[in-house]
Amino acid sequence: MHKDQTLGEYLHAHGVSRRGFLKFCSATASLMALPPSAIAQVAEALAAARRPSVIWLSFQECTGCTESLTRSHAPTVESLIFDAISLDYHHTLQAAAGEGAEAARMAAMEENEGSYLLVVDGSIPLANPGYSTIAGISNLDMLKETAANAAAVIAVGTCAAFGGLPHANPNPTGAVSVSDIITDKPIINVSGCPPIPVVITGVLAHFLTFGTIPELDELGRPAAFFGQNIHDRCYRRPFYERGKFAHTFDDEGARKGWCLYELGCKGPTTYNACATLKWNEGTSYPIGSGHGCLGCSEPDFWDHGSFYTPIAAGLWGSREALIGAAAAGAAIGVGSALAARARKKKTQANEEATSS
Amino acid sequence: MTLLDFARGPALQWSLIILVFGVMWRIIGALLIMAKKDLSKPRRKTMLRDGLKTIATRSLPEHQFEKRIRFQHLSGYAWHIALFISVLFFAPHIMFFESVLGFGWPHLPNPVILGTAAVSLAILLALLIRRASHPVQRLISNVDDYISILVVIVPLITGILAFAHVGARYETLLAIHLLSVEALFVWFPFGKLMHTALTFPSRFDAGASFGRKGVKA
Amino acid sequence: MSSLKDIPVGIETTTGNVEPLLHEIRHALRRVADGKEGTVIDLRSLPLAPGEEERIEAVLGEGEVRAEINALGPTVISETSYAGVWLVTHRNDDGTLVAQFIEVTRCPELLKSQEADIERGICRLENELAVRNKVVEFPLDSKDAEKRNYDAQRPNTG
Repeated sequence: MHKDQTLGEYLHAHGVSRRGFLKFCSATASLMALPPSAIAQVAEALAAARRPSVIWLSFQECTGCTESLTRSHAPTVESLIFDAISLDYHHTLQAAAGEGAEAARMAAMEENEGSYLLVVDGSIPLANPGYSTIAGISNLDMLKETAANAAAVIAVGTCAAFGGLPHANPNPTGAVSVSDIITDKPIINVSGCPPIPVVITGVLAHFLTFGTIPELDELGRPAAFFGQNIHDRCYRRPFYERGKFAHTFDDEGARKGWCLYELGCKGPTTYNACATLKWNEGTSYPIGSGHGCLGCSEPDFWDHGSFYTPIAAGLWGSREALIGAAAAGAAIGVGSALAARARKKKTQANEEATSS
Repeated sequence: MTLLDFARGPALQWSLIILVFGVMWRIIGALLIMAKKDLSKPRRKTMLRDGLKTIATRSLPEHQFEKRIRFQHLSGYAWHIALFISVLFFAPHIMFFESVLGFGWPHLPNPVILGTAAVSLAILLALLIRRASHPVQRLISNVDDYISILVVIVPLITGILAFAHVGARYETLLAIHLLSVEALFVWFPFGKLMHTALTFPSRFDAGASFGRKGVKA
Repeated sequence: MSSLKDIPVGIETTTGNVEPLLHEIRHALRRVADGKEGTVIDLRSLPLAPGEEERIEAVLGEGEVRAEINALGPTVISETSYAGVWLVTHRNDDGTLVAQFIEVTRCPELLKSQEADIERGICRLENELAVRNKVVEFPLDSKDAEKRNYDAQRPNTG
């Protein structure tokens, strides 16, 4: 696809009829959680959209986010969106390697100065630049250099958005998020471990359609996908309301599909689209498969206590400390009682002395 | 650290420590500051039975002033019992106790708990208004009374809001509810809320010592 | 040896979203009957418990019309047993569900032939006729050139 082709021209060149294009727009609008009434507007915008250049940098990550996005092998509507962008640099997916690859990155940055999208997955280690390097360049340097002339940055995955697993206590690599380093560019945090694929493509589709970044919540995540919490969209919510909880993973409640609150589900405090969009093209999501939500799209979700401790439970319960407090209290009690008695004796002695 | 992490972590830790410390201090102190030893000959030797009997008699409604205090008496019992049911038999509360004590117990259905919590809150608010407007009650009430009532009402309100997911995001509502309960823990040993730990022991003591003197308490 | 299917799992929950949806369809149908605009409902935007989607389809039933469209994968548009209520199911080439809508309208947009496609069709037909009349012409629509393996020196096809 030529860079100056519009998306409409690109699709037409690939034998996609207007009808097919409308189907593509309906699916894209649904992807972006837009109401069906917006389909016409999406069609108009996409027909005239130009291909943005995208540079994808992978730092301290497990590649799960890339895997999540590229699962499908057959041409799909979502992959068309992916094809519609010009992915000029991506370690895992590109054929080039070594200096040739870095040269491609520099060329893309120069050619599209000010208009390319920077996608980042993985956290950035600050404790020692040597913990994660690409072609001898530290993640920190590569991020700063590449973000300097980007139009916007998309931090894909909880690692890039909030630090993720490397950032968990005790954070030995000094891992930080993209927004901790880049402060002068618009950043879209698409969190999740990994994020739901359609959320990633939904953000790209929004950029393609409207040329702007979508509305964000206070953590910088697209409000369309992260505006509701899992609990409010969970199909097991009626059981929560009625107080029917599964106590173990194989008891009667678990078999009947009751609420997993007691088994540590973090649904009430987690904001993501899993409950409606689900995973694996709408097959299921953790709660639907019988396991509580881990809260993977929230910052520091590794450090909120066990995944199996309910939200209502305290994060502290030291028997030794309470026994110590009881002992200290008893000691003060004894001490103050003895002091009071001594005072009383003295007063009595004084009274007897004065009266006699 | 988020507000919820703080409420479930350090705030819980220190409020529980203060609670245990303060309660032990006051109870041990109260037990040890005893009256002078009674040197007279005991008229009866059934101190245990007398003590328990007095706990019962002073708890039951039979009373010369019953007609005048019936409203206060019954509403007091009603909201106390409703509160205990809400606190002790709500499933997420039992999960909380399990995390601190190490054991739990069966729970009641949520609609029942919502009912008892609402009843408890309604009566408490009515009694608070009465306390602040009735001339005699107003005269004899002090800051201690009002704070003690407040630290019980706020957890009830915040708990109902958190359960209904109304007013703010759930994590905020839950954090505020936990913090209000922790405020109750901190206040508990130092104000009139200690009647929780002292009422029955003091009734027992009165009954036992009066019984020793052969007097009906 | 027992299989996964033998594990007794019975989900007895509902989201309560089925009836409100049917009410919405009823109101939309009334608007269409009164000559007003149609309505499109995105089924993916509703939280539905397992089995509820099937219940909706069962309640709506099957009508007289079923159209299969082959564009970017199969799409099936079928009128339900309620005239004016259409179920539109978009799938990818590998059969995975991409989007599902309920359209309350006299005729879904996608069933109609599209302007741009008709225009292109006219160009192609004109070229086809030109070839048949043994007049060699370049395609009038230059965009078709990439798609069609057009040989300017093609022999007489008669």
